[in-house]
Amino acid sequence: MNTHTIDTSTPAIPADDYDTTAFFADPGAIATVTNTTDSQTVPLPTPDASTAELLAAVHEAGRRTVPAPFAETALVARPLLRRAGLSVPEGPLTYAIAPQLTVRHAHPAASAVGSAGSAGEDDTLLVAGTLRRVPWARTATAVVVLANAPFGPVLFTLTPDQAVLAPGANLAEEARDDLHLASVEIPAAQVRRIPRELLEEAELRAALARAALIAGAGQRCVELTVAHTTARTQFGRPLSRFQAVKQEEAKLIEEAALVRAAVQAAAAPLDAGTAAARFAIAGAKTQASASAAEIARIAHQLHGAIGITKLHPLHLATTRLWSWRDEDGDETTWAAGLARTLTADTLWAALTSTP
Amino acid sequence: MPTATISPLGFPEAVLPESARQLRLDVRDFLDEERARGTVLGRPDSWLAGWDPAFTRRLAERGWVGMALPTEYGGAGRGFLERYVVIEELLAAGAPVSAHWVSDRQAGPSILQHGTEEQRRFFLPRIAAGKCFFSIGMSEKSSGSDLASVRTCAERTADGWRLTGTKMWTGGAHANDYAIVLARTEEAEDKHAGLSQFIVDLRAPGVRIEPIHLMSGEHRFNAFHLEGVHVPEAMLLGQQGDGWKQVTGELAFERSGPERYLSTFPLLVSLLRELDQRAMTAEQLTQVGILTARLHSIRQLSLGVAAALDAGASLDTQAALVKDLGTRLEGALVDSVRSILPTPADPHATPGSHAELLAFALLHSPGYTLRGGTNEILRGIITRGLEQH
Ligand SMILES: Cc1cc2nc3c(=O)[nH]c(=O)nc-3n(C[C@H](O)[C@H](O)[C@H](O)COP(=O)(O)OP(=O)(O)OC[C@H]3O[C@@H](n4cnc5c(N)ncnc54)[C@H](O)[C@@H]3O)c2cc1C
Repeated sequence: MNTHTIDTSTPAIPADDYDTTAFFADPGAIATVTNTTDSQTVPLPTPDASTAELLAAVHEAGRRTVPAPFAETALVARPLLRRAGLSVPEGPLTYAIAPQLTVRHAHPAASAVGSAGSAGEDDTLLVAGTLRRVPWARTATAVVVLANAPFGPVLFTLTPDQAVLAPGANLAEEARDDLHLASVEIPAAQVRRIPRELLEEAELRAALARAALIAGAGQRCVELTVAHTTARTQFGRPLSRFQAVKQEEAKLIEEAALVRAAVQAAAAPLDAGTAAARFAIAGAKTQASASAAEIARIAHQLHGAIGITKLHPLHLATTRLWSWRDEDGDETTWAAGLARTLTADTLWAALTSTP
Repeated sequence: MPTATISPLGFPEAVLPESARQLRLDVRDFLDEERARGTVLGRPDSWLAGWDPAFTRRLAERGWVGMALPTEYGGAGRGFLERYVVIEELLAAGAPVSAHWVSDRQAGPSILQHGTEEQRRFFLPRIAAGKCFFSIGMSEKSSGSDLASVRTCAERTADGWRLTGTKMWTGGAHANDYAIVLARTEEAEDKHAGLSQFIVDLRAPGVRIEPIHLMSGEHRFNAFHLEGVHVPEAMLLGQQGDGWKQVTGELAFERSGPERYLSTFPLLVSLLRELDQRAMTAEQLTQVGILTARLHSIRQLSLGVAAALDAGASLDTQAALVKDLGTRLEGALVDSVRSILPTPADPHATPGSHAELLAFALLHSPGYTLRGGTNEILRGIITRGLEQH
């Protein structure tokens, strides 16, 4: 296996038996309900890959429903560590953006200026609080945490064994674990003071990673649906020959294409810097989250009853769409953020800022 | 895995040429001057309703009409992506571009591709100068979605053709100079065969234009009667019998442009102008953001098709997809604007006021998903495109 491949020994997705030949009498009608879970591993790009390459890989991970923190590692944790000047550990990484944590100096200076603990001899930190719903925390080598220290924003890493882990999951049974930290000491070597822009960049990267996953899962829905409507016969014709089916299927295809285009359009702005990226990424996550419902709705409708079973792989994509649209900011949150700066005079300029 | 089925969904990434940045600023300066003159009013659907030949000529003086036509025919020899930047600026501003719209988007490129050298030399410089305006004569009373069923017929005469029939919904025929008419030159088993295109002089004897008023009362399109109209041999466009191929070949240009999602954009600007006066509520922010994200996303798809056209590829499936998404947004935007800031639409309110623009956009809204091929037909094209791969 490629050394850059993320693999987990505990796949979160139960190994379903998709071979449902016995389920229906007519095997031709269920030609698509066979095992379509191609390998759930996707090679992880090297850390110096371009944003466009990272996005393409994350899209693929979303399409294949990779049961590991692939997007978290590639598009969020690694670039943030690099930007903060920390070394990048091997293996799967995850992140938590946690302004609510209590962060103090571990070694208060003898002559502290201001309130107790507001200055320290070094940046060793004492951290207390809970990191909620950290993606894949149980399988990650390290968690990249962004928090507010008394002296400003910091980025630090911790290992899951430094916390008490309460397992949780999203609708797709992807691990979303709470990490309870009771005055955990983080050595100065693992801490970096960061500019405020990096906090914002972390939020943008997380949102874009999630949007790219949604785009991938959307594509999977299109592929499964087209395969199904061309193979499944009713009233003596394939489903795809019916006008009403075509009408719905086209909307599904369009919605998926729309999300993909919006994600693709965010790569160059992200490379150009935070200010340029804000509009494109807010737009991409808003669109991705807003489209998830329509994509899942049509894919399920056109699959009929088989699509809502565990026998069929469609649920792997749709339960992720329903989860990912809410993670790292739902469409309501991002849309409001997008609109907050717009006026009659700036709207068109903002829209034409990309490409 | 049916991975291969995805190829018609591949959209090239659009990277605008460096020259586009300056061009955009130049167009914005020009629009500021025109606003000062009172010609650019920020109205919705200005590519259908904004009729102003004098504006067109000033635009042409800058080289922004027929700008993708080669310089040897009077064009500016600039690519489709540069043209894209110019037209999206004009539409977003609600500039009155309908006089030259069809000659710039369709007639020019079509004559360049299929026309004789004589036709190119005669028409293209006039189009680029903003002095020659075209209509499209495709639809008929019984030929809408099923365009290949057209019945207007062209019979051979000693020195050309004699056209008889009635075209419907012919936009601008009452004001334009020429129409490109799709007519049957041969009865054929296959209804897609035996069709040809003709350039018809709208002032020729035997042409009778009868107005058809929109529900808003506007006179934009017509019934266009051809009562034995003589069309000289030299005005056959392209090859006899190739009409269907020629018509469908133009569709990627016609369907994917910014006019397919920007028709009602000026209404969103008007809404923001209203909201700039007060603090937006959380709900208003969200709805404005959702619309903006969708506009942004559709624009990326539309630019992707323009990039492909610029590179010489034609993406019919993708163009149909952009048009379905875009025109549905145009209509949905009107409804959203209504719910974001409840305002009774009022056609008699002060021209340019929000209530008046809303009325205008609303009265035009059913047309967005009809013109240029209905969305239901486009969706058939999209699914077929995907299944063939
Ligand atoms: C504002 C405007 C400007 C126009 N300008 C011009 C112009 O300049 N020149 C010109 O030639 N034409 C013009 N048209 C005409 C336009 O191209 C036609 O209206 C269009 O092709 C639809 O044809 P129809 O109106 O006859 O509808 P019909 O074809 O009768 O369709 C009626 C409804 O049935 C649906 N339908 C029909 N067949 C199918 C099918 N097989 N499957 C699913 N649904 C189906 C259609 O989608 C539509 O919803 C214009 C139209 C508008 C609205």
